[in-house]
Amino acid sequence: MSAAPIGSQTANIAMTAGMPPKHVSRTRRATFFSLVGLGTIVGAWLSYIFLSENGMRISEWALLFVFIPLYYQLNVGFWTALFGVWLMNRPKPDPLNLWLSLSADDYEQPITASTAIIMPVFNEDVTRVYEGLRSIYLSLEATGQSKHFDFFILSDSDKASQWIEEETAWLELCRQLKAFGRIFYRRRRKQINRKSGNVSDFCRRWGKRYRYMVVLDADSLMSGALLTSMVRIMEKNPGIGIVQTFPKQIAADTLLGRVMQFAQALYGPPFMAGLDYWQCGEANFWGHNAILRLAPFIEHCALPPLPENAPFGGHILSHDFVEAALMRKAGYAVRLLPTTRGSYEEGPPTLVDMLKRDRRWCQGNIQHFWLLFAKGWHPMSRINFLHGILSYVSSLLWFLFLVLATLLAATPTPHVQPQAILAEHILLGVTAMLIFLPKTVILLDEVITGRMFKPLRLRFLTAFSSLMDTVVFTLMAPVLMIFHSRFVVYTVIGKSVSWVTQRRKIDGGVNWSEIIFTFLSVTLLGIAWAVIGWYVSTKFLIWISPILFSLAISILMAAMVSSSRSGRRLGLFLTPEEHEPPTVLKTMQQNLEEIKDRIPLSPELERHYGLMQVCLDPYVNGLHVSLLRRRRTIGVSDTYLKEISHRLITQGPQSLNAQELKALMHDTDIVTNLHYRIWSAADHELAPFWATAIRQYNLASTSPFAHTLAKQELEPAATL
Amino acid sequence: MEAVNIQFAPATGTEEEWNEAYARLADYFRSYQLHNRIRRTQLILETLRNAAKAHAQDPTRTPTAHSIEQARLMLREWLGSIYSDLNLSEAQLEATGRLGFHLAGGPSRWPQFFLDEKNMPDDMAEAMRSAIRTSGPGMQVSKMTPRDIDLGMFTDVADDTFDRLGRHPILRYSVLIIIVGSVLGYLYSLFG
Repeated sequence: MSAAPIGSQTANIAMTAGMPPKHVSRTRRATFFSLVGLGTIVGAWLSYIFLSENGMRISEWALLFVFIPLYYQLNVGFWTALFGVWLMNRPKPDPLNLWLSLSADDYEQPITASTAIIMPVFNEDVTRVYEGLRSIYLSLEATGQSKHFDFFILSDSDKASQWIEEETAWLELCRQLKAFGRIFYRRRRKQINRKSGNVSDFCRRWGKRYRYMVVLDADSLMSGALLTSMVRIMEKNPGIGIVQTFPKQIAADTLLGRVMQFAQALYGPPFMAGLDYWQCGEANFWGHNAILRLAPFIEHCALPPLPENAPFGGHILSHDFVEAALMRKAGYAVRLLPTTRGSYEEGPPTLVDMLKRDRRWCQGNIQHFWLLFAKGWHPMSRINFLHGILSYVSSLLWFLFLVLATLLAATPTPHVQPQAILAEHILLGVTAMLIFLPKTVILLDEVITGRMFKPLRLRFLTAFSSLMDTVVFTLMAPVLMIFHSRFVVYTVIGKSVSWVTQRRKIDGGVNWSEIIFTFLSVTLLGIAWAVIGWYVSTKFLIWISPILFSLAISILMAAMVSSSRSGRRLGLFLTPEEHEPPTVLKTMQQNLEEIKDRIPLSPELERHYGLMQVCLDPYVNGLHVSLLRRRRTIGVSDTYLKEISHRLITQGPQSLNAQELKALMHDTDIVTNLHYRIWSAADHELAPFWATAIRQYNLASTSPFAHTLAKQELEPAATL
Repeated sequence: MEAVNIQFAPATGTEEEWNEAYARLADYFRSYQLHNRIRRTQLILETLRNAAKAHAQDPTRTPTAHSIEQARLMLREWLGSIYSDLNLSEAQLEATGRLGFHLAGGPSRWPQFFLDEKNMPDDMAEAMRSAIRTSGPGMQVSKMTPRDIDLGMFTDVADDTFDRLGRHPILRYSVLIIIVGSVLGYLYSLFG
């Protein structure tokens, strides 16, 4: 057995290790795309036979034109799932499976490669971010291999209070975990190029110190075992630039969140295996829960802006796909790692939040249109871009398909030839098979093998949940189609999106006004369409009624899926992570529960908690000033800062806008003086906010830094 | 422990003003997490006595303002003796010192020596000096320069078209009118 630690082995391994052999990739893709192509051609042909019975009108050509890409997409999903199920059930494991590159000995070797675990954040829930980080840190410590891992919280938060809370939570976490010099906090003064700019900034400052970088999202959670395995895999496969894990959704408490996380837990692994089958070394990077080889990433993956302005051009929004393509262009493989445990994330809690996220993703994917025709890409990178674009444009195509179908129903031509009728029936049957067969096969696989759950009762509950999730997704699909179509149109006509924080939890139940405001137009569209359908023909109305019904009840449906009545009590939509939470998740959940139990301050003080702390607490004030970079204050800004700091003291934080508060917090002298000026002022000179704050803030926490964190001190021999 | 001497008779200011100053100082020192009440009381009285002298010389400012200013002066002097070898601005000295005291566990380990320049334990001063933190490891700056992506001829043509359409609103609206007109014309021909 070799005694050489992981990290010194790289030199003895072929530099292309990890890049699947070309003949294997070619064979797999030839098989996969032949089947997809054949399926698409058969569908298109059947459709043509049906439509062309009385000659092809323009609207029929248009229908066929939108039908082909839609059928291609259906086929891609269908065959991906089937290949995935086959891979998971074949007697011998997939020879390309990255886990096979590690031997039992490899797990015994110490890791010496330096790895940075970075978490870019933007106005996220501070408690969730740091408790997640704590769980990952403790899990990594438990592996005994944590020495060469450093953590970076890379903040782009632009709210003053948030910024201070992040700093104080960082200090407290380091203190509790005794992790000074292991966990670092950095906030960018200017948030250039959003998340990709944030990551690039890290790479420029510290990238050279590390061989690998694990990118996390603010809601990511990863186990130490998986993190160390990923480093070992990278060490054994120097030909790999990026390894992307499959992050499973966790911690949902609304119906939508739980249905999504259930569907992902059940259908996700076969789809991932299927993707791995045909993507081979040209997989995608999804921006988080992945490990990257830093040297090539720094050298080849910096993103140039696209021509023209947003939304089509400008800064690349969905940077991850492009980075994956650039990494592949540089000669490194991008691989998927089949994982069912150890990599987690949270999803949007409500339909409105999901649509906000999709709006951003839609613009990002449509931007990739420019890159489809760029020179030098691997053909698979182009296909990845195309699939990304199709995932949103297909909604618009579905919408056009339905509009054209309505139009054709309004101007009917008789279909009497047996050939045309047979083609119609076969097409309907094949389409139903493409839609429902993958789910059925995956469900059967679960019932027979019990991959998710061993007890028979849970397997049958899973089967029932699967039926229910089909109902929920069927109701949501037409609504998503309308919104995605709208997003595509918005992007094309030049309406850009702003950078907003993703909400992960809902407080206070269903927000009816937000739901009505968002979905009223969809409801009206559904009703109007139904009226048109009624005039067109009763048969057509019956045919299209499932879609129109979903549109018409979109307000009720959005409210229903946003509710916290999520079937948990009945055992529905159960995932393995809910049934038996992994240690890393359990640690985080316990700590979050502890925070929930703390006594809150008045809402206004809670809202400006960071700001209150930095002004009143001598230690928080000291921390903030210590972390600020010193700069020269020029006369004009000095006068301006004095004016707004006076306003802050006499009128309270609500009298200043976000920019003014941020400007104050950037100046060391102003921040120091604010502390003394507020404490020195008589009650009548202070805004009521400060008078209340002085009376109440000492009650908030025993430690000025612990307000947002659990009080979980690290025991000397802690093992988690 | 030093005895608490409550003797306090300010020559200027009203009783109400000095009571307010006392309350504010109590809150202020509590914000340092000093749970040793006797030490806190000693500090309050010492600060109030200094403030009373300052108020006698400048009665235009409130006793509360004088008291906090005196507390700040005492802190600055105390920290100055601990961090005398570091070249720090006043704001940095205060910030570093306060944070250092917290990180060294000062409020729980050495509350009785807070602001006590004469009896400062060596281990406390050393712990405070070694507790200075920065936000990141030493930088190793590298270049991450974006390389141009050759977007190809198709993109150039599309780019030019969008650019031209963008610059000529009449052309843009003409294209739009032609498209809409064609669709409407087709629908009319279907139903007409």
